[in-house]
Amino acid sequence: MRIERRLLSRVEGTAELELSWKNGQINDAKVRIPTSRGIERVLEGRPFMDALVITPRVCGICGHAHLMACVKAIEDAIGKVKLSRKAKLLRDITLLIEIIHNHIKWFYLFVMPDFLRLGEGLNGFEPFRGEKWKKALNVSSELLKIVALFGGQWPHSSYAVPGGITSNPTYSDVSKALLILDRVFLFFLEDMVGMGEDDFQSIRGAGLWEDVRGDLGIFIELCMKHRMEEFGISYNRFITGGEVFPFVSPGHFTGEKKLCFFNLSKVKECYESPYSAARAVRYGGLPYETGPLARQFLSGNPFIKRVHKSFKDSYVTRVISRVLEVWEMLVAVKDKLISIYTSVDEPSFYSSYRKPEDISGSGVGIVEAARGTLIHRVWIEKGAIVRYQIITPSVWNLGPRCERFLGVAEKAIVGLRNPVQAEMVLRSFDVCSVCTTR
Amino acid sequence: MRILWLQRLSCCGNTHSFLNYEKIEALLKNVDFAFHPSLSNESEHRVLQRVLSGGQRIDVLVVEGAVQKDDKEVKRISEVVDFVVAVGSCASYGNIPALHREDVSGLGYRFKEKGGLLGTDFLSKGGLPVINIPGCPAHPEWIAGTLLNLSMGTKLKLDEWGRPKDYYSNLTHWGCIRNEYFEWKVETHQLGSKKGCLFYNFGCRGPMTHSSCNTVLWNCVSSKTRAGTPCFGCTEFDFPRMGLFETKQFAGLPAELPIGVSKRGYIMISGVAKVFAPERLKVED
Repeated sequence: MRIERRLLSRVEGTAELELSWKNGQINDAKVRIPTSRGIERVLEGRPFMDALVITPRVCGICGHAHLMACVKAIEDAIGKVKLSRKAKLLRDITLLIEIIHNHIKWFYLFVMPDFLRLGEGLNGFEPFRGEKWKKALNVSSELLKIVALFGGQWPHSSYAVPGGITSNPTYSDVSKALLILDRVFLFFLEDMVGMGEDDFQSIRGAGLWEDVRGDLGIFIELCMKHRMEEFGISYNRFITGGEVFPFVSPGHFTGEKKLCFFNLSKVKECYESPYSAARAVRYGGLPYETGPLARQFLSGNPFIKRVHKSFKDSYVTRVISRVLEVWEMLVAVKDKLISIYTSVDEPSFYSSYRKPEDISGSGVGIVEAARGTLIHRVWIEKGAIVRYQIITPSVWNLGPRCERFLGVAEKAIVGLRNPVQAEMVLRSFDVCSVCTTR
Repeated sequence: MRILWLQRLSCCGNTHSFLNYEKIEALLKNVDFAFHPSLSNESEHRVLQRVLSGGQRIDVLVVEGAVQKDDKEVKRISEVVDFVVAVGSCASYGNIPALHREDVSGLGYRFKEKGGLLGTDFLSKGGLPVINIPGCPAHPEWIAGTLLNLSMGTKLKLDEWGRPKDYYSNLTHWGCIRNEYFEWKVETHQLGSKKGCLFYNFGCRGPMTHSSCNTVLWNCVSSKTRAGTPCFGCTEFDFPRMGLFETKQFAGLPAELPIGVSKRGYIMISGVAKVFAPERLKVED
């Protein structure tokens, strides 16, 4: 048996894959996340408002999701916090924009360049030089202007505060955001799926993922060529703890034909791992995959139902889910932006307490982030944080093994015969090591 | 000019901030990335081997993230490149990862203490100490602009903290759309308010922080204070301070006054300003 360690590039942060080879096949895989920054500890003893600044710093690509989970947890701890419709809508919008931007960047910058390593001549996707690479980068940073219009900046805005938001957008901010969004709609249709809106709607209705053209079409073709639909299969169990109105609600799929409710009390983090700075998380004792595949499968996206039926939770299903989720989210954001027009004059903020020292209690905030369900829990005594706990999506997907089960990504890698494909499978989870260890 | 970018204890936020640079396509025509961990296809291990064995020349090392005391790779590469750039507050001062770990620091500092990983006397081959581009994250313009200036061969002017004066010689306060409220001492009493200055009650560090956040806008459209969020002083060594949304008071005055303002001057001027503040600033619309 031979042990091989591969340090991955093109992921968020540092992740190492330890592969045990036997007869040309991977018979064990460990996802090692080497370092932790101790962010939960940094929060202890601080005024609870500080968490709104510090928790986004968990992650440079999904920091906004951390802000949203944090503000919800604090509001839960305060209790009876009133929010205007405008504040709720804007929080939803900026969070969804971060997710859409993540998915576009991930597909073009992290996923497609892997096929160059498999010997495919895809010049357009070459890092730093490819035209498609550059265009995708341009579109994703254009999108983030919407977060900045409402939240001041991206990354690391702290505009969501208990009781609302700090900003007061105008009609013209909303109109500008809609203009930016239109360009991204166009990019999705023309570049990502290669067809007009009517054609896309009709194949979406029937779930005909194999009819997708554009860059996702190229991806699907390459996957079939390299048999990626056979790789990356894990437990086939999915979980979503947060809600994305109107198309995602909490639930889980046990692997058989059963959709169940999500019950927070069944979520447990296990002991420290001997090889990773991350802990394992289980639901009712079992490993679950979270993220776009879970969200889109559970919400009955016709594309994902069909592709899952053919290829289960494989590499190809996971990637298609993330890319096609962009459409669902674009539609949701547009509706929400249009709704803002009628609520621009509402207050941004309602005061929910007199003095911070009056606040004692605990709270939980659950949101859907780019990579799946993100849970923040806070314990406050007389206005100060006494304990803070974060369970990130990447802990579900990339966390280590427990006594009984391999981690979700580990399970997906065992059995492969090509190290580049093993890396690709790991990347299909949209690896974020900085979130995994905090 | 060839750049090698490394990430250590970081959230990768500086990478994503940098990727928002509006003219990134043009920049990529001027500078060449030998390696960037989030973007390159090659493995870090192989690139470092090649560089350290003299197989590839690197002009600028960019480090994102705080570093551990035993980071020999960063130390060794710092010796062979012309310039070393610390991008973000973690690489500059240690920031959050260093708060609870004595063995973690920035490249040239640990908070306000000079030294860090590379030591007090470090000068790169190009004759400069570590070029610090703090910020949590650093603004894309500060990162890209510094790299571009280096590629043009300009002699960078650095301040006492090793920060390029181009981006850090003014205060965040400059260009803030709430400046008029500051001048007339009209306070914000509640977050989410369109009016008032956040310095008096909400801990805004704008008048004590060096950055161009309000003159070169974030994502080309806004800034924290423009969105009604206080400045948290993230370009300074003491970020993140305790009580980020609070203005500490001492005998009815802000415990810390804007840089260079005397207590006596502050009391006199703010008293007069408050009395004569125009009505239009005081009413919420």
